[in-house]
Amino acid sequence: MNILFFAVLALYFAAVLLQFAGVMFKKDKVAKIAWFVFIAAFAGNSIYILIRGIVAHRLPLSNQFEFATAFAWGIALLLVVLKAKKHSDWLATITMPAAFLVLSYAALQPKEITELMPALRSAWFGLHIGSAVFSYSAFVLAGCAGLRRILTAKKKEENHELKLQQMDFLSYRLIGFGFLLLTVVILSGAIWAEQAWSAFWTWDPKEVWALITWIIYAVYLHLRLRGKKDGNFLAWYVILAVPVVLFTFAGVNTLMSGLHSYG
Amino acid sequence: MKKLISFLRSMKFGIILLALIAACSAVGTLIEQGQEVSYYAANYTSIHGILIKTGLTDIYHSWYFLALLALLCLNLTLCSIVRIKSVVKADKTALETSAVVPALVKLNSDGVAELEKFLADKKCKASSVGESRVYSRRRIGRYGTFITHVAILLTVIFGALALYLPKTTDMTCFPNEYVVAQDGSKIYVDSFRIEDAEGNLDFTSEIRVVKPNGKTSLPTEISVNHPMTFGSLKVYQQTYGTAGSVTARVIDTGVEDVFIMDEVSFLSIDGVNGLWYEAVYPGYVKDEEGNITLITSTQGSYVDPIYEVQLSSEGEYTPVLAFPGDKLEINGIEFEFNAPVEYPGLRIKYTPEIVNALLIAAFSLMIAGLYITFFMPPVLVKTDSTGYTVCGPKTEQLKLELKLLLQDYEAAEEIQEEEKEE
Ligand code: HEM
Repeated sequence: MNILFFAVLALYFAAVLLQFAGVMFKKDKVAKIAWFVFIAAFAGNSIYILIRGIVAHRLPLSNQFEFATAFAWGIALLLVVLKAKKHSDWLATITMPAAFLVLSYAALQPKEITELMPALRSAWFGLHIGSAVFSYSAFVLAGCAGLRRILTAKKKEENHELKLQQMDFLSYRLIGFGFLLLTVVILSGAIWAEQAWSAFWTWDPKEVWALITWIIYAVYLHLRLRGKKDGNFLAWYVILAVPVVLFTFAGVNTLMSGLHSYG
Repeated sequence: MKKLISFLRSMKFGIILLALIAACSAVGTLIEQGQEVSYYAANYTSIHGILIKTGLTDIYHSWYFLALLALLCLNLTLCSIVRIKSVVKADKTALETSAVVPALVKLNSDGVAELEKFLADKKCKASSVGESRVYSRRRIGRYGTFITHVAILLTVIFGALALYLPKTTDMTCFPNEYVVAQDGSKIYVDSFRIEDAEGNLDFTSEIRVVKPNGKTSLPTEISVNHPMTFGSLKVYQQTYGTAGSVTARVIDTGVEDVFIMDEVSFLSIDGVNGLWYEAVYPGYVKDEEGNITLITSTQGSYVDPIYEVQLSSEGEYTPVLAFPGDKLEINGIEFEFNAPVEYPGLRIKYTPEIVNALLIAAFSLMIAGLYITFFMPPVLVKTDSTGYTVCGPKTEQLKLELKLLLQDYEAAEEIQEEEKEE
């Protein structure tokens, strides 16, 4: 099991290096190889999650390690989907390291399979945490698209404006998707909390930070609609929102105590 | 006055409120909330007085946090009322208004044909108005944000009711006994177990509820995540404990009684002689010399239960460790130690049923509203022989899509148009 995990991590790392080399030296072939290595890493990541689920007899999403592994997988999946839709040849260079870093974080966590505590045995578990995986992944990709926009803004390429618009719009679409899912996370969490602990909302730090993340992206949506801020501002905004997402995911569990401290 | 109202309903004010709510929420996670004064005195020595006075130690219930929420509700209400009128009007007149706008993107005739084919493939409804044709689809898309905002408003309102109306109490109840709930209902615990047949932690009670009017529920199993709802009562399997059980028997007459105890108790007839019950422990370890060390806590059922008691005889106390099955006799009374009794801690919540239903309806509405907003944008395109214009709200995606699709057909004199939201 662990061998597969570290093989996947190594493959992601190799993909990152190859991709960087390909872009730096403008070698399309190398970038293509990078993509194949990335796909292999993604496939390995999927298989790892599947096997772990079968061994554990449950969704493998119950602690920081399992969530982070799924999070990296979600980022990779979104990149694959976007690439298939031809949106994002330009997104890979930034997104691959993101997937690698999230999986590196997983590597630092305890990896044993533990039994689910009774409070987690619920039909809401899958919906609540599954949505969180995709929501956070979408926010990270939106941040990557923002970063790419900032990097592109300085270069004057062909079709420059249209490209910038596309990047901005991709960030927006990803955030729309992530925002819908984060809403699902929060609301399903509320219903679940009422089933398990009797109150819909207890101002537990994890809940509060999910709410703060939600508000941050709601503000983004409105700022963008008002049209008074330019694309660069919005790009910085979506980049700087990513640390908040990561804090909600990992920081709250490590730094604050509350009902969500499952390990 | 007009200015004030227009500020109160503005998106700018909404954004400010959201930012303030987020900031207060964050503060609430940095300062431990709702502790005793002594906690703050110890941890925030010199500033603890200020923290308490400014409500920072219970920020989610402070007047200013509640005021922010109230203002958000006001802001959302005003802006929704004002906007829905124009949204409905724009929707009703969409065909006529879009038919008369000039074609802003100029195309050659192949381009127009390509576009019309594309729109027809997308299952747009086409209507001819004069020289123009208007393609439209998914009018519901115009209402996504309205639905979302109303749902948020309802969620805040019903959420507040769902948080503050219920009366919740925690009670323990030994099996085969009952507790009385807030509304006078009796909750009978027919049985309870901590572990399932395979020895996994899975605390489960079988309970029945009898309402004051005699209405009785079916026997129902409750466990963590599976509370029982009966009318406006909800009964949760919250915690569990293990209590000692001792049968006291008067040897002469054979009269006996079973006592179940989870705290120190004195079993005696004359008040002097008898058994002091101290505690029952989950297990023990015996070393080579036969000394016993008690295991004081466990997660699941007690494996080797052991009783700690004292015999009291004419003012003399003798500590004794006893096991289930053991019998001790004192002054004509026999005390027999039984297997300990596992019992549940129940949480009983009393809420008007309708509140939860309304809140969950608001949740569903919010998800639906967001889905419509992001995944069902309306399509409204006017075409004529010279080109096309994308009309209506939420045009961004379609504009980009059409631009990429029709790049090669665009005639030279394209008119740049400012991005405009309704
Ligand atoms: C409580 C948090 C809020 C959330 C989650 C929220 C959510 C949204 C969403 C998802 C959109 C659509 C964005 C898009 O299409 O890109 C939107 C649009 C909008 N929001 Fe909010 N909103 C909130 C509060 C407010 C407030 C307080 C106002 C105050 C005026 C407001 C005014 C608007 C307006 C005017 C629009 C544009 C409507 C349209 O395009 O039809 N929102 N909001």
